[in-house]
Amino acid sequence: MKWLELFQVAGATLVAAVLITVLYSLGVRLTAIAGDSRTEQPGWVRPLSYACFGLCGIAVLAGLYLIIPYFSK
Amino acid sequence: MVALVIALALFFDFTNGFHDTANAMATPIATGAIKPRTAVALAAVLNLVGAFLSTEVAKTVSGGIIREGSDGIQITPDIIFAGLMGAILWNMITWLKGLPSSSSHALFGGLIGAAIAGIGLHSVNFTSVLQKVLLPAVFAPVIAAIVAYICTRLAYALTARHDPETGSKLTQKRGGFRTGQIFTSSLVALAHGTNDAQKTMGIITLVLIAAGSQAPGTGPQLWVIAACALAIAIGTYSGGWRIIRTMGSGLTEVKPAQGFAAETSTAAAILASSHLGFALSTTHVASGSVIGSGMGRRGTTVRWGTAGKIVIGWLFTLPAAGIVGALTALLVHTGTVGFIIAAVAGTAAVVYMFVASRKSHVGSHNAVEVEEAGQAIRFAKKKAAAVSRGNKSKGGRK
Repeated sequence: MKWLELFQVAGATLVAAVLITVLYSLGVRLTAIAGDSRTEQPGWVRPLSYACFGLCGIAVLAGLYLIIPYFSK
Repeated sequence: MVALVIALALFFDFTNGFHDTANAMATPIATGAIKPRTAVALAAVLNLVGAFLSTEVAKTVSGGIIREGSDGIQITPDIIFAGLMGAILWNMITWLKGLPSSSSHALFGGLIGAAIAGIGLHSVNFTSVLQKVLLPAVFAPVIAAIVAYICTRLAYALTARHDPETGSKLTQKRGGFRTGQIFTSSLVALAHGTNDAQKTMGIITLVLIAAGSQAPGTGPQLWVIAACALAIAIGTYSGGWRIIRTMGSGLTEVKPAQGFAAETSTAAAILASSHLGFALSTTHVASGSVIGSGMGRRGTTVRWGTAGKIVIGWLFTLPAAGIVGALTALLVHTGTVGFIIAAVAGTAAVVYMFVASRKSHVGSHNAVEVEEAGQAIRFAKKKAAAVSRGNKSKGGRK
């Protein structure tokens, strides 16, 4: 039985999914804060939310880069 | 014979496509992130692209289960024909019942059954079956469910907004997840294309090699890749609305953040497994994710009755497809007459199930109807809750 491979897959799944979810959630949260009209927000909130979405996109692209054999050969 | 087997393999690819549309597109359709028609079109295109991207899965998945090659047994087109028959019939039955079941399991079951009946028990490598088919089937939903549970919890915890002074809930503004869902579900569809179209390519290549029209040990030819990609894309576009309904609203009520978490886990699990060479079934992973995300969000219940039905369907997939495969192999073994009987009976069964499906038509229009009703109720509840909260806070201030 390939337990090592099983744990690798489980670990990689956990790390990748959590990373993307956390980044995207932070992005959503920061967007929500930046959109609050009642209180004045510091100027860095919105750019930071964009940065979160951007990092998330980069993480996905990096994943795809690993998967597609055409690139990783 | 060879041409017929190829046609049958492409038809299997087609059933695989519409069987598995739900894995990628059920949750975004259920949350209203993408319109049903657009969703299946998007999934079809991405399946097509995915099928061209990687052709490495074919060998790792199907290799070694049946002792093929020089020291083993020669697989004849007859056996493959019988195996495909079993796989297609089981796919059609589960689709009629709206059960998400693994197409790869149906294919393996059919081939194993056909090989046992046509060649003998020794032709199947049971250790390999245990390692490559049975154990992953147990672990895939569990891993996916745990990861989806954690992700759902995180997504909700990170976006929960409370007023710092009064502690009452602010508008949560989780609409962003709906946009995110478009990307994550696309990723799942792409991963599905890189996984599932490969199996049919492998089968057709196997037939071509067995028939002597292709050198052993070579990869799939370009026309085979193109045909398989097209078959799975058309299958995906035709949309398995019955299964989408089960996955999107039958298991649990799906909200955007939850759907996002489920799809991220599904995509991560499939891509990780196909990259690291530990094949997991798309269907098992996706169902596990939906259940896990349902457990992760407060205020949702997972309908364990439906989940149980799905698991029973999984348990039956291998033996049921195997029995049909075995019967077909026995029929084909008797000669041309038996072969014709098998082909006609198979076609008749498929046509019968298609006609039966027409009686209770589930299409893009009513696969979402359930969701809209659910949304209306939810909004009403939310408003009522907001009103009562508002009253309470007013009372507190006074």
